Amino acid sequence: MDLFPLWLSLRVALSATALTLAVGIPVALLLARVRFAGRGLLEAVVVLPLVLPPTVLGYYLLVVIGSRGPLGRALAAVGLELAFTWWAAVLAASIGSVALLIKSAQAGFETVDRQLEQAARTLGRSEWSVFWSVTLPLAWRAVLAGAVLAFCRALGEFGITLMVAGNIPGRTQTLPLAIYDRVQAAQMDEAHALALIAVGIVVVLVFGLSRVARLRY
Amino acid sequence: MVSVELVKRYPGFTLDVRWEAEDAVVGLFGPSGAGKTLTLQCLAGLITPDAGRIVVDDRVFLDTAAGVALPPQARRVGYVFQGYALFPHLSVAENVAFGLRDRPRAERARRGAEVLERLGLAGLERRRPRELSGGQRQRVALGRALAIDPALLLLDEPLSALDAPLRRALRDELRELLAAWGTAAVVVTHDFTEAYRLADRIVVYEAGRVIQSAPRAELLWRPASEAVARIMGLSNVLRGTVLKATPERIQLRWRGQTLEAVNSPTRSYLPPPERPIAFFVRPEYVRLIRKDRGAPDALHHMNLMRGRVVGEVDFGTVWSLRVRLDAPGPPAQGDFDLEVEVPHLVYEILEIDRDRHWEFSLHRGSIHVLPS
Repeated sequence: MDLFPLWLSLRVALSATALTLAVGIPVALLLARVRFAGRGLLEAVVVLPLVLPPTVLGYYLLVVIGSRGPLGRALAAVGLELAFTWWAAVLAASIGSVALLIKSAQAGFETVDRQLEQAARTLGRSEWSVFWSVTLPLAWRAVLAGAVLAFCRALGEFGITLMVAGNIPGRTQTLPLAIYDRVQAAQMDEAHALALIAVGIVVVLVFGLSRVARLRY
Repeated sequence: MVSVELVKRYPGFTLDVRWEAEDAVVGLFGPSGAGKTLTLQCLAGLITPDAGRIVVDDRVFLDTAAGVALPPQARRVGYVFQGYALFPHLSVAENVAFGLRDRPRAERARRGAEVLERLGLAGLERRRPRELSGGQRQRVALGRALAIDPALLLLDEPLSALDAPLRRALRDELRELLAAWGTAAVVVTHDFTEAYRLADRIVVYEAGRVIQSAPRAELLWRPASEAVARIMGLSNVLRGTVLKATPERIQLRWRGQTLEAVNSPTRSYLPPPERPIAFFVRPEYVRLIRKDRGAPDALHHMNLMRGRVVGEVDFGTVWSLRVRLDAPGPPAQGDFDLEVEVPHLVYEILEIDRDRHWEFSLHRGSIHVLPS
């Protein structure tokens, strides 16, 4: 059995989770701590990927990164291509899963008593240091829970990925796409095996971490 | 030296205060919601006022006119929050050393140990805040603030998180501690006794304004106005009408009686006749005239009144009697006119529980006129 889709999906989901953390934590912190005009709008935009049809998201993403899109053309000018590469799959998975991380991390940051952060400031700590020594240590469980959910969602990303990365065997065919492919080709045994692997990974991650790190989703 | 001038507007509330103090410990006293904590937050730089100026010793923390606003990190003030805000994920030692991160490792350890030792926290270094008693938490919060050698220590209701018996013990301990460390401090409290015990100068807040700033003894004996007297929780804050005022005496009418009070020459308060005037009478200074000692003579029994005990409360060592005067018209304080305090012994000797009708006298020195 060809296990390329499994390794690709793991690689994509891990990269997407990293990207999601890098982008999502500052956004979550912003939403949890700062009152600003347009905050409500940002909150709505954050949950959009959860509620819009994935193919719609994929379509617009393709419009942006495709060879005729603004980003696609800019990248092409320096000899790079994003659409229909595994990087496009990473981007697709990130967009599909970032909301889960942001919502979970935001809720976590909101439970941290602001007075603790203020105490740290009066004790001379910079904003950066306040985050790393007070806010994150007190909210890491929520951030990790969000990251686990985001990873699982990224692992299962189908619609956006299909639109922007295609379904190229050996190049961009991720686990969910491969399962779809096998079913289409009536190779039910292989589809079943791949599906079981996906279930196994998610169950181990979600339930294992909820036991070990006492995470709550 | 602390000098504060602040204006901060919120919908429905405006803080507009100005006070100055050379004293070691300043108490901000007043009811909840008067702007005391907000003042502390401005002093620490956690909130930026709309306009103002804050100078501590020779350092300008804030001067909105000059565009100066030091961030909290640059002010070096120790803030002891109400409820203490100890870092729950850090040990006692880590909490206390939290503000020392910029110092070399050896210096950090030395200073941390010194503070723990001085505050009697040695042996608790590895405990977490949740494993400490209320009194220990308070000392960790103090230690964390004092470790950075603050230019100013800010304490927000430092005793309110504690149980009543502990409160009194720790109030005196805190007073000694502040004196021992010699750090200038600003203490917020809504409890007058606490303010009086802890602070050298008391600044009285009401609804976003300062209504008096005075050394504590002066405030105790000479509240500047009726509002101050009421916020201090004084009994027998009353209103009468001026009959005649001289620099030495003020004659006033109250409940059909003519009372003579001492005026304060330093204050030279000379209200015109017929002007309403507020005054207060300390309940422990009202004299009960003994019936077995002959007729009272005017000199020793000035401001004589007659009345009936209509209520009483046992405070353990003293009885608080509620007296209604034998005068027509509605009583001054609901269903009584004067609160009178008598020691238990006197209450028993005079058999006040059976004999309810008495004569009372107020020495003119115990009627405190409140300028309006």
